[in-house]
Amino acid sequence: MSDAALRTPFPERASAALKDGFLQEALTIATTKFIDLRRESFAGFPQGEALRDQARAIKEATLQRLDAHLDRLADNVERLGGVVHWATTAEEAREIVLRLARDRGVRMAVKSKSMATEEIDLNEALEHAGITPIETDLGEYIIQLAHEKPSHIIAPAIHKTKGQVAELFSRELRGQFPADPEVLTAVARQALREKFLQADMGITGANFAVADTGTVVLVTNEGNGRMVTSLPRIHVAIMGIEKVIPSMSDLVVFLAILARSATGQKLSSYTTLVRGPRRAGELEGPEEFHLVLLDNGRSRQIASTLREALYCLRCGACLNVCPVYRQIGGHAYGHTYPGPIGILLTAMLKGNESVRELAHASSLCGACKDVCPVRIDIPRMLIELREHLDRDKIAPWGERVVFRAFRRLLMSEPAFRLSARAGRLLQRPFVRGGRLRGLPLLFGRWTRTRDLPPVAARTFRERWKDLR
Amino acid sequence: MTARADFLARIRREVAKTTGQVAASTAPRPPHPGAAADAIRRELAERWPQALERFRQEFERVAGIFHRVPTVEAAPPVIAAIARERGARNVVTWDPGALGFDPAPALAREGLAVAAVSAGQESEAARVRHRAEAAAAQLGVTGADFVLAETGTLILLSGAGRPRSTSLLPDVHVAVFGRDRLLESLEQVGVMLEALHVDPDRATSGAMINFITGPSRTADIELTLTRGVHGPKEVHAIFVEAP
Repeated sequence: MSDAALRTPFPERASAALKDGFLQEALTIATTKFIDLRRESFAGFPQGEALRDQARAIKEATLQRLDAHLDRLADNVERLGGVVHWATTAEEAREIVLRLARDRGVRMAVKSKSMATEEIDLNEALEHAGITPIETDLGEYIIQLAHEKPSHIIAPAIHKTKGQVAELFSRELRGQFPADPEVLTAVARQALREKFLQADMGITGANFAVADTGTVVLVTNEGNGRMVTSLPRIHVAIMGIEKVIPSMSDLVVFLAILARSATGQKLSSYTTLVRGPRRAGELEGPEEFHLVLLDNGRSRQIASTLREALYCLRCGACLNVCPVYRQIGGHAYGHTYPGPIGILLTAMLKGNESVRELAHASSLCGACKDVCPVRIDIPRMLIELREHLDRDKIAPWGERVVFRAFRRLLMSEPAFRLSARAGRLLQRPFVRGGRLRGLPLLFGRWTRTRDLPPVAARTFRERWKDLR
Repeated sequence: MTARADFLARIRREVAKTTGQVAASTAPRPPHPGAAADAIRRELAERWPQALERFRQEFERVAGIFHRVPTVEAAPPVIAAIARERGARNVVTWDPGALGFDPAPALAREGLAVAAVSAGQESEAARVRHRAEAAAAQLGVTGADFVLAETGTLILLSGAGRPRSTSLLPDVHVAVFGRDRLLESLEQVGVMLEALHVDPDRATSGAMINFITGPSRTADIELTLTRGVHGPKEVHAIFVEAP
């Protein structure tokens, strides 16, 4: 998202999303459908729960020896004839790709959907250098033509209607196309097929990288990932360091739960295992294979609050079930990664200051943790994040004062009892429809976006005394 | 640019701070992958009919079209019929050695223009010609190295005479395979991949393995499921009964 958009405070971005009638409908339909597909898929898969535990244990075990696994991955990629690049920052990653492209006279690069390249704003950098990046995932292609950003990790264009897509294609691809997904998909197929055959460089992310064999694994549905890794003469894969897994035996555990969690499929249409550049005897495949290992703030969290966020498979399941995401969609979050896990990943990549508002964009209901294929405890980390924001004085002054006072109240029995009584009196002018609304002063910041339950006519403590 | 040693040293420092973390374990690996793979093959030699039936069900569930022929000689007429129905004129096929049979003469007799890849070719001229043929073909014929029943998946290894695009660029992909390719579970696939990796005779295999589960699909416009966005619109599996 542009810096200009980020200067709009989060509550305003969120309330704009809430007033967008189409977005509201699209979000409800999409997230509900994904939830149902996921649920049905796991319902018919009794071993799924054990596999989720196993997948979690693998991620943890890998993290405990992350340096060794990355070392081994690099050795094996090089053994297969690939080149490994080490990027501590987003800027370094961009420079690596740009230099590769420039040195080899690349004019056009086709891209398969990759959150890592979104994270490092690679497209802007390529364009700036006079290299045309073409997004080839249909959703990403739509977003790129519209100069927007993805709004969902796995369904980047869910915020757009078929009418809007038809208009966009008609304008950008010069034609008159009806608002029919089938026709529009065929239009994109034809337009992008040429690009696949012309491009000099293919750029992908990686869902996994197997240390033991030096294999980069891509999970896709459209087939663009296969095109990008088979047709251009250079393939560059960019992956976060946490994507490494030890062995092929580990890989199949993740494959069994990834697509189920994302789209309810048993496997996505294509799982592509890339083992370096093409080998002797092969008619196709890139002459060069480059793997860019991206840190960008990840290693800092290995021994810190957000460690578990490094387990994330980017399946998007936590977005679909999140009551906040379901209301505001991905754009309102304002960063590459939306949803509950997105808040944590944003804090990881851009620092805690960047989520000072977003850290509260969660009801802590725990639905995200329940659906996460690797059972990431997102609510716990959000609470810890809020604690950090308070301790490091990043949270607004008013918020810190109110919460400190609240803490005092909760720790002292007489004060709590007294405040309940006082609250009962003081709340009277503000109770409407059984909820507390529009509180004055500092409290107003809270009730502007949330209703509160009022203090009961008789508190539990008062009733308990009578019952005894 | 960060040097490898510095990059890894930073990670090592962070990892060192976390000793005593919660219990964790990686997936168990077969100690002798080759032997484990052979054991699976032996078991499947008995159980293949059940695996085939499961494959058919799952393959059809992902919109695959299943065919069954008694011998390889019966496969080309089925391929020709598929081509006729779809109005396909140009066919590209893997090398006969990689397919296990040569469908070209029979397909040519049916009036199809067949471009058969030959395993020996890898000159730049052959590369250019092959790309043009693959891009022009409406139907691609491949084998399948593993056929996974649990998910209805065809697994193809690239290599000499077995280009990656044969199952990707044409509108219709037809894979022909026999009983010895069937596997039951992803776990077994894991063993096969481990075995493949330790096999010293990897010269025959290429740099890519593709798991193909049904046709290319997208739901990126208003979640409407659409097939054939970039890859094939249709995937056919032809099972050859004769061992």
